[in-house]
Amino acid sequence: MQLLRDMLDKQVVDREQVKIGKVDSIVAELKPGKPPRVSAVELGSIALARRLGSTPAGWTAKLAARLSGKQQARPHRIAWNKVRDIGVDIEFDIDVRRTRIFAWQDWLREHVVGRIPGA
Amino acid sequence: MKKLLEISLGVVTSVGGFLEVGSMATAAQAGALFGFQLIWAVVLGTICIIFLVEMAGRFAAVSHHTIADGIRERFGFNAFIWPLLAVLLVNFLVLSAEIGGVAIAAELATGISFQWWALPVAFLAWLLLWKGTFGLIEKGVSMLGLVTLCFVVAAVMLRPEWKEVAVGAAPSLPHHDTAKYWFMAVSILGASISPYLFMFYSSGAIEDQWDKSYLGTNRAIAGLGMSFGGTISVGVLIVAALVLGAHGVTEVDDYNQLPLMLIPIFGFWGFVLFVASLAIACFGAALEVALQQAYLVAQGFGWNWGEDLKPRDDPGFSLVYTLTLFLAAVPIALGLDPLKLTIFSMALTAASLPLTVVPFLFLLNDDRYVGEHRNGVVSNAAVIFVIALGFVLAVVSIPLQIFGGT
Repeated sequence: MQLLRDMLDKQVVDREQVKIGKVDSIVAELKPGKPPRVSAVELGSIALARRLGSTPAGWTAKLAARLSGKQQARPHRIAWNKVRDIGVDIEFDIDVRRTRIFAWQDWLREHVVGRIPGA
Repeated sequence: MKKLLEISLGVVTSVGGFLEVGSMATAAQAGALFGFQLIWAVVLGTICIIFLVEMAGRFAAVSHHTIADGIRERFGFNAFIWPLLAVLLVNFLVLSAEIGGVAIAAELATGISFQWWALPVAFLAWLLLWKGTFGLIEKGVSMLGLVTLCFVVAAVMLRPEWKEVAVGAAPSLPHHDTAKYWFMAVSILGASISPYLFMFYSSGAIEDQWDKSYLGTNRAIAGLGMSFGGTISVGVLIVAALVLGAHGVTEVDDYNQLPLMLIPIFGFWGFVLFVASLAIACFGAALEVALQQAYLVAQGFGWNWGEDLKPRDDPGFSLVYTLTLFLAAVPIALGLDPLKLTIFSMALTAASLPLTVVPFLFLLNDDRYVGEHRNGVVSNAAVIFVIALGFVLAVVSIPLQIFGGT
């Protein structure tokens, strides 16, 4: 498997097959004397903005910090050892409801979408 | 039997997607000014879109990816962002034009200025997306689209010289208004080869859970559906040439001239049929474009998406089509001329084609996505032709807009 070709930008789903995002970046661990090891994948606008360059990355991080507090100004990480299946999508053995990944969608549901009749 | 039903439904649906304000307005303008001479542009555009739609459906059925998913995964986010932004912009303008088309139909029917109709039309479209299912939108609205067949009936009843129609199907050089001629040709091609059409089609294939057993169905729907849509466009062009041209209307620069087209044939009912055709075709297209906008964003960023889900289960997705619809209604509500916007957005669509069609060449030849169902020589030749055409259109459409635009 080639990491960048076969992993990056693939659809990520949780164990209930809920689409939770794309593999926006890959985290590798470097230890002296050993080959690099993939330790996690990252999701979210901050990880994505970093790929576009340092200026968009800075803006996105600032915006995220302002909107949802300092602890949100980092990308969401999913540990690589949670991976369960790599097919059309990459399935991780997690439950998205127990992460902060959908915090913004939950906020939208509560404050905007849920308030419109018929939602 | 089930397959036959599916194919006929698919054909009807593609007609709904194909015929919209852009193809009607460009065909009518071309017919009025140049007679049958630009039929070749409709034919060429239809052949190109048949190939692209077939490929989009095949890609979705075999790889279980939509075209947007495929572009991001295969080329990475940094490349994907360009087609993403281009298609979002083009879709937005096209959506605005479609809302304008329905609003004009409402003005023709009631006498109340089109500006007042923009927001109610957007609201009605939003309500259908908010409460409806994919099946309802796909089948219900496009069934109504069959009313546009009245243009084909009208074209036959006018008894055109079929030999001249056939001559028009071969490209020829203009005798007058050269810049306008090429600008019209570009707009017709833009109206026929719309990125939203094949991107929506691939999303629909995933919504309807297509797999490899649908490849035959896909081929039939792409071929028949798009030819059917193209035939109606040619019908509009013939009627415009014989009715508008004969009445000395060569410059269609006002929507109010258009309903005249069917009156000599059907009398008062011609007026009703025209208004109904315009309203339904544009409304159906507005639904599809708004939905495609939400599909594109959700697929691009990996959110949960699906028109069959309740809005509370995919809040991000629902919010995109909600915002798009209401924002797109604003220019029309402020009084922007829908006809001008239509022609402009069709030329811009043509200019954006290379960004969305180049990826087809790679995706449809990639074993990891389509395996043994990869493109043959003919399909690849067709894609390369559309890419070359797209580059030419991208280069010429802006200068032609300036010199030949209305």
